[in-house]
Amino acid sequence: MSVGETSLYQRFGTIQKRRVLTVTGLAIGLVAMLALDLWAGPAGLGFGDIVTGLFWPDQLDLRPRIILWDVRLPDALIALAVGAALGLAGIETQTILDNPLASPFTLGVSSAAVLGASLAIVVVPVVPLVGETAVLPVMAMVFALGSGALILMIVRWANGARETVVLFGIALVFLCNALTAGLQYLASAEAIAQIVFWTIGNLTRAGWIEVGLVSACFVCVLPFSLRHVWVMTLLRGGEAHARSMGINVGRLRMWVILRVSVLAAFAVCFVGAIGFIGLVGPHIARLLLGEDHRMLVPGSALCGALILSCASFLSKALIPGVIIPVGILTAVVGVPVFLGLLSGRRHRA
Amino acid sequence: MTVFGATGITAKYGQVTVLDQVDLPILNDNEVLGLLGPNASGKSTLMRCLSGEKSTTGHITIDGRTRADMGHDGWHHRLASMPQSPPNPSALLPTELMWSTARALDLDVSDRELADQIEGIFARLGLSEFALSPLHTLSGGKRQLVGLALALMRDPDVLLLDEPTSALDLHWRMVVLDLVRERLSDRGGVVVAALHDLDLAARYCDQIVLLHGGKIIASGGPQHVLTPANLARVYRVETRVTLDCDGRPLVQVIRPLRDGEAA
Repeated sequence: MSVGETSLYQRFGTIQKRRVLTVTGLAIGLVAMLALDLWAGPAGLGFGDIVTGLFWPDQLDLRPRIILWDVRLPDALIALAVGAALGLAGIETQTILDNPLASPFTLGVSSAAVLGASLAIVVVPVVPLVGETAVLPVMAMVFALGSGALILMIVRWANGARETVVLFGIALVFLCNALTAGLQYLASAEAIAQIVFWTIGNLTRAGWIEVGLVSACFVCVLPFSLRHVWVMTLLRGGEAHARSMGINVGRLRMWVILRVSVLAAFAVCFVGAIGFIGLVGPHIARLLLGEDHRMLVPGSALCGALILSCASFLSKALIPGVIIPVGILTAVVGVPVFLGLLSGRRHRA
Repeated sequence: MTVFGATGITAKYGQVTVLDQVDLPILNDNEVLGLLGPNASGKSTLMRCLSGEKSTTGHITIDGRTRADMGHDGWHHRLASMPQSPPNPSALLPTELMWSTARALDLDVSDRELADQIEGIFARLGLSEFALSPLHTLSGGKRQLVGLALALMRDPDVLLLDEPTSALDLHWRMVVLDLVRERLSDRGGVVVAALHDLDLAARYCDQIVLLHGGKIIASGGPQHVLTPANLARVYRVETRVTLDCDGRPLVQVIRPLRDGEAA
């Protein structure tokens, strides 16, 4: 199609339609992945049982019904909620810090959550009348939000300078890692094993309350992200140009980092430090959809959810009867997809 | 009719004063003011003060009204600036950059009108065939033109251009500055441009301000400002200045002056 034949309006519209189709494809893929994830597991439920159990639960026997509703559905849905939250947090962090290596983990949120969880694992058993099950996610959340608050203070102090924010985030990661290592040095062998298990990331500790909390957080944050899609797209052209247009980039950075910290804190506090998704989910979305945040925000959330759902499926399907912690598989699933897309783009270029 | 004024501009970075009581000449409709000076003379800071991006103690007005009088949106509705650096070489399409800017600024145009407007600006800047090419595939010069297109998006009365031709070849330098002048003839307004090229400044600017160390050394018409004595003082070079057939100065640089050597 030559430049002179059609108007820019038509040609841009064609690109946008293709992107809408891609986002729709991702959503359909996610539903299919969710079905696979619900199906996989040692109990041997068939697809028919899954469909019956989902829509007519009374017609399913008690045992498969409990497995479906109390084990598989919470695990599968927390994978979607956490994946979507990390994907959304990742794209917003990368754009607002103009840094392709940035993710919620770069800001130290995840390392702080690990520190909080480690503290709960090491200290709580020696304090009577406190249940570890409830305290662990609360401590992880408090520390993650605390690190978010520290980052926000730095953003304010540095007047929104992004290099300072990234450097402070990395320093915070090192500090939290050092303190966690210190705790491990003092902890019993059993506690160390628990910390390592938590750090790897695992979906199987989530129940309906956790699914509800992470989903609610995602649903509350998403409208704010969608409200900023235009200015975030403009920001991909460079901070200087956004400022010259009268955009208050420093204030925008405050808001975005606030919501990213809350999202990441909710995402990791129940399932552990599942890495990689907040970094590569956005990159995969960008390769598929370009830089327009109207598409990229939902696309990145969908890619994050898709990767984690796929990892959740593989964690049950790879070795029958064994559930591999999902944190081990996120990179195993995401890296080949990412490299495939990168090489595809190189061939087209 | 647009009248742009800036007086008593003082700006600091921390404790360091980079602009000290700078008074620009009043700019009337259809006038182009060139800001000249060596590196670190305060040109870019002055541009940022004029746009309202950096705070200053001075008094900047459009038609006698300050930014405080007009409000943030009102001010940026009448004034747009083009930063020195071109847009980032990201995967963003130039059309997306323009489109998202218009929507982020709540410009009241339909999608079709907006596309036509973007197409028109790109056509004037020779960017039509690159409208849907990712910025990272464009040369630095083309990206600089996209930056100019962005500044023209709001059709501002006051256009601030910070070294708009630094990445452009000879042809496009003249095309861009011709376009800036044509635009003034068509719709009025004023332009302030920080420039490095003395001959381009002499050719396209009605008035020139020569900055050095955050202060104005000379101000007025090109033939009054671009003198061997002023250029030696500010740029530390020996020059020969002749007049072309239209009476505009042409600057020939002879040699750099050594430390301590008088102009």
